[in-house]
Amino acid sequence: MLTIKNLHAQVEDTAILKGLDLEIGPGEVHAIMGPNGSGKSTLASVLAGREDYEVTAGSIDFDGTDLLELDASERAREGLFLAFQYPVEIPGVSNLNFMKAAINAKRENQGLDAISAKDFLALVEEKSALVELSGRLRDRSVNEGFSGGEKKRNEIFQMAMLEPKMAVLDETDSGLDIDALRIVSEGVNAMRHEGRSFLVITHYQRLLDHIVPDHVHVLSDGQIVKSGPKELAFELEAKGYDWIKEDTA
Amino acid sequence: MSLASDKAQAFVAGLKASSGLDLLAGSGRQAMSDLPVPTRKSERWKYSSLTPMLAKPVTTAPVPKGWPEGEPANPIPGLHAYRIVFLNGHVVTEASDFPIAEGVVCMPLSQALAEGRIEAGDEDWSHYHTREWIGAVHAAHFQDGLFLSLDEGVVLDRPILAHHYTLGENVASCPRHRVQIASNAHAEVVLWSSASESSSGMVNAVFEAKVGSGARLGLDKVQHEQGAVYHLAHEHVVQEKDSTFRIHTVTVQGHWVRNELNVIQQGSGAHTMMHGAYLPKAQEHVDNHTTMDHTKPHCTSSELYKGIMYERSTGVFNGKVFVREDAQLTNAYQQNANIVADAGASINAKPELEIYADDVKCSHGCTVGQFDEEALFYLKSRGIEDRTARALMVQAFVGDVLEGFGQEEVAQEVKRLLAQRHGWM
Repeated sequence: MLTIKNLHAQVEDTAILKGLDLEIGPGEVHAIMGPNGSGKSTLASVLAGREDYEVTAGSIDFDGTDLLELDASERAREGLFLAFQYPVEIPGVSNLNFMKAAINAKRENQGLDAISAKDFLALVEEKSALVELSGRLRDRSVNEGFSGGEKKRNEIFQMAMLEPKMAVLDETDSGLDIDALRIVSEGVNAMRHEGRSFLVITHYQRLLDHIVPDHVHVLSDGQIVKSGPKELAFELEAKGYDWIKEDTA
Repeated sequence: MSLASDKAQAFVAGLKASSGLDLLAGSGRQAMSDLPVPTRKSERWKYSSLTPMLAKPVTTAPVPKGWPEGEPANPIPGLHAYRIVFLNGHVVTEASDFPIAEGVVCMPLSQALAEGRIEAGDEDWSHYHTREWIGAVHAAHFQDGLFLSLDEGVVLDRPILAHHYTLGENVASCPRHRVQIASNAHAEVVLWSSASESSSGMVNAVFEAKVGSGARLGLDKVQHEQGAVYHLAHEHVVQEKDSTFRIHTVTVQGHWVRNELNVIQQGSGAHTMMHGAYLPKAQEHVDNHTTMDHTKPHCTSSELYKGIMYERSTGVFNGKVFVREDAQLTNAYQQNANIVADAGASINAKPELEIYADDVKCSHGCTVGQFDEEALFYLKSRGIEDRTARALMVQAFVGDVLEGFGQEEVAQEVKRLLAQRHGWM
């Protein structure tokens, strides 16, 4: 589904990713863990197509497509989804109009007609139930006045609406209380599917108690320095990131 | 005599003198030679130059034979309204539809004058010609307009549409509207200006209104002029005790536009709402000068103007708020927000507050910015194309102004025209 080879990326003149390799198969859930400043969020931004990040070397193949040739909106229409660490508030743009525009952009890409009002509302009902997003929240402006947990639930709601092939969750657990963490995780788990892959980026192991990964990778100084099964996450939690640094030194 | 005034004289040489209000016309003619032709040296005209307009002399169009074929007298689909239509400043009665009801006088200004409905000494409420050369030009050459008078407690069952259409080259149009709403009466008026693609010249319009105690007047004002028309509009509204005046001014399209809106609250407990939006593109120019004058206690005003400047367009917002010494417990709010969408565009924005009372609540804000790149990226990251994402954000930005029109049909048509013009969905 996603093959990253020797990825180098920088912001302004600072190199952040320094030769990252990663292979994610269809239906797999991979977790990337790492200390602050290791390049986790940069990886999410580069995948989503944020323009202030410059890829200086390497390649990203997304289900047979050269991802780096596409802009952010094209990537999304091809089925890539980024759940933001800090979802943006957009006053005046209604959540539902936003979702309708996004769904219709994707449908147009697939050569389909715009979704009917009836089908759209049915879809909203179904998907908002998944993350317990109340009518009050989904009818409002995008993320405006939402609490941290509500914003993250809205991210998962959008993911469920758009049914991506590949979802990148960037520190989705940050700022969540236990209940919100459970709701968000259950939403993600309900979407696990043999044709859909996940890349879960997190600093803490606790999210991985809820969203159990197939593979865990450790990112340090812009490279994957260690990979292993889900148990690696427990080891990291117990020993801390310094252990990896010593281990790989 | 300076070159500038030679040019100004040549510019107005083809204008036909107004008739019916001889005193006003005479003062106008006098003021034209007494007042300076505005230049960019004057603060009020610093960012709006009349020089290009004055370079091409204009003429009053002959009285039309009728309404042009194929052109809708009512340009707003679905709007169920009484109607008075103007072609190049002349009223076209055949295409108009006046209300006939007890306590309502609605007719062309020329007819009201002929019937002696305007008393000597009461012909001019704004004294625009004593302050501005352009006002003097209007006073000396005004043609016709809407005359509306509502008796006490009368509520019009439908809005009145005053539609002005410019057709032809180097045409001078000087419509003059007069609206009088007696106590506790209520009227909604739609002022719509349009122009054909090949038209050019000047529209120099004056709208004067008195809103009696407890009365209400709502104005939906839309400028949608193709061609190369210089549009100078002046609204002067006087409000009595406990009255409400609302105006929404939206410039959909206009080659060069200057709106000068003055509202005076003359009685306590009055409320004023002045909202506006402008979205010029190409090399268009839109200037909004507003004055809110609070003279009595316990009054409120709410002013919100929003602009999006595209391409090489230029804009001006100047919002003056006076709170006079007697106007204690005034609550005045003013907000002007602008997005400069393209590098070649510019806006000159200036809020001005003069407060002479000590127990008042006044707030104002003025912003000039660009698109929120983070929000744009968020929208695009969901598969929405850049163009559509920008359109969503623009509509959100001006949405609160557009939603506020008195007539839903006007709001819908303005949104449709803007969507068409800017390639929104």
